[in-house]
Amino acid sequence: MNHLMQFSSSLQGYLAVGAMLFSLGIFCVLTRKNAIGILLGIELILNAAAINFVAFSKFRTGLIDGQIVALFIMLIAAAEAAVALAVILRFYRLKQTIDADEASIMRN
Amino acid sequence: MVQSAQFAHSLEGWFGLLPLWGWAAVSAFIVIYFLALPFGGLATYIERKIAADMQDRIGPNRVGPIGLFQFAADAVKMLAKEDFIPKGGDRFLFNLAPLFVVVGSCTAFAVLPLSKYLIGADLNIGVVFILAVTTLIAPGLLLGSWASENKWSLLGGLRAASQIVSYEIPVALSILPIVLISGSLQIGSIVEQQGWTVFGENQASYHFWNAFHNPFTFFSMFLLFIGGLAETNRIPFDLPEAESELVSGFNTEFSGMRFGLYALGEFCDVFVMSAMVTALYLGGWHIPFLDIEKLGFALPTALVAFVQFHMFMIKTLLVVFVVMWLRWTLPRLRVDQLMGMCWKGLLPLAFFNILGTALWMWVFKGQSLMQLLAGHG
Amino acid sequence: MNKVLLLAEILTVASALVVGFHPNILYASVFLLFTFCGVAVMFLYAGADFLAGAQIIIYVGGVTILILFAIMLTQWLYKIKLADLRNKMILPAILSVAVAVFLYRALHQMVATLPLQTPEALEKFTSTPKTALMGHALLGSYLLPFEAITILLLGAMVGAVWLARPE
Repeated sequence: MNHLMQFSSSLQGYLAVGAMLFSLGIFCVLTRKNAIGILLGIELILNAAAINFVAFSKFRTGLIDGQIVALFIMLIAAAEAAVALAVILRFYRLKQTIDADEASIMRN
Repeated sequence: MVQSAQFAHSLEGWFGLLPLWGWAAVSAFIVIYFLALPFGGLATYIERKIAADMQDRIGPNRVGPIGLFQFAADAVKMLAKEDFIPKGGDRFLFNLAPLFVVVGSCTAFAVLPLSKYLIGADLNIGVVFILAVTTLIAPGLLLGSWASENKWSLLGGLRAASQIVSYEIPVALSILPIVLISGSLQIGSIVEQQGWTVFGENQASYHFWNAFHNPFTFFSMFLLFIGGLAETNRIPFDLPEAESELVSGFNTEFSGMRFGLYALGEFCDVFVMSAMVTALYLGGWHIPFLDIEKLGFALPTALVAFVQFHMFMIKTLLVVFVVMWLRWTLPRLRVDQLMGMCWKGLLPLAFFNILGTALWMWVFKGQSLMQLLAGHG
Repeated sequence: MNKVLLLAEILTVASALVVGFHPNILYASVFLLFTFCGVAVMFLYAGADFLAGAQIIIYVGGVTILILFAIMLTQWLYKIKLADLRNKMILPAILSVAVAVFLYRALHQMVATLPLQTPEALEKFTSTPKTALMGHALLGSYLLPFEAITILLLGAMVGAVWLARPE
């Protein structure tokens, strides 16, 4: 237990959580058919990247540059979510489904 | 002054004394029995009394002296009600949703500056903290409405979420002028700077209430108040639970204690919003034109805290009273009017206030109206 | 060495597991919300106080609400077909486990050779308020990316409105 707690607050702990979130995000993107499900996976991946940036900014450099990059990641994630959901709603209006496999033609 | 990281470390110290679940139980007990229940309960009583006065009725007067224990009777009734979960509804989310609302509004109590010496945690991101935890309310309403398996509920929940998300922007923007003035997100220091005394010398940083710092902050206060009204789903912005259209909106299917949690969360949210207006714009715990710590003789800290606490509560409850007053004064808006007002009305005005405040800070070297009148520097 | 951080990490990973494996997309997005909250607590312990607040406001107040909206607007209200996991899960599972192991091993080896901050410096970094520092950095050495992000956000907003316009 003590060992686990030490691990959790070290750089390795942050990296482990980041790696797990990243791989779960990839798993989510690969296995979901639903376009919104794929979006969930992408959010996980972006969060994993942000965790790594923040962890390195604390443990390695002691500067806030990593946190600024994490802030940019968040803003990009927000913009990306808005655009993706607009695309999904449009696609739903067109096809009455949000199954990503149905998006297979180049024109409507 | 506790920085957030130090706050986290002090948590560590306390956590040693009891197992984690013990602390969870203790803090839940304190929050529910000493904060939320008395305030939520009394607020329902006061609201009904005010409503009765405005409509020329008597209001609750049977339980206890002048009906004062009506809220206890209501609570007993709520507990005795059938615990109902709609068939086909989503059991897990139905149980989870009211918790979001309660957690979102009760957590914000931690950073409210009840007095200079009485503040749960004076975080250095206090204002952001309040904005952050109150966002948890929106998913609570949305999920609860979905889990009810009821079209009225779902419409109410969608309305609530879109309204809260939209009005968060003017609320956050009308806090920014204060951040510009005080150069801090820490609520304790924001309140501290709003002191003013007519007896003796003012501190250099004192600039009286932020509402009267300059004309722009005066308008900004009203923007914050209107945005807060909309975020807490109060009339005239109570579209999510419009009785005449949606039965009871997102909480149609909720009964018993779950409905109680929703109502409690809503009242706590009203209190938090009013406290935010008080702390950021109306001088928080400062007595107007008087600094009770600079009277020439020292008062015991406990007495100072007592007086400041009451000052803060008087101001906050006055704002709460205005909220209840508006309920019986204004008609409900339409959905398109609501959104139009947010995006075309409040948002440009909030930007204008920020620019105006920045200009004022630049022209007058950061001095407030009172400081200029008093001829400082 | 603290329980709160450990709990937050466990919460993060456990709810991310639910996001990955739960067949019901609505539940997956609710647990994504818990993941975001756990990550926010991790940020707080890494000395990123402002970032933690921004994480909650942007992700819980913005992204999660958007996702829930999209789910509720696109699924037929009473013919909910929320289950959507594919049958082929073995290959993605192997792939993602391999990615996780590779990432962690690579980073672990890299970290072993890197000079890290001393415990005192870590303590000092964690307890410094970051809001003012970040503000100065954003309007100082990071001004160009900051402006680029604002243009990106504007473009994304206009594009989203245009895409979702009524016919």
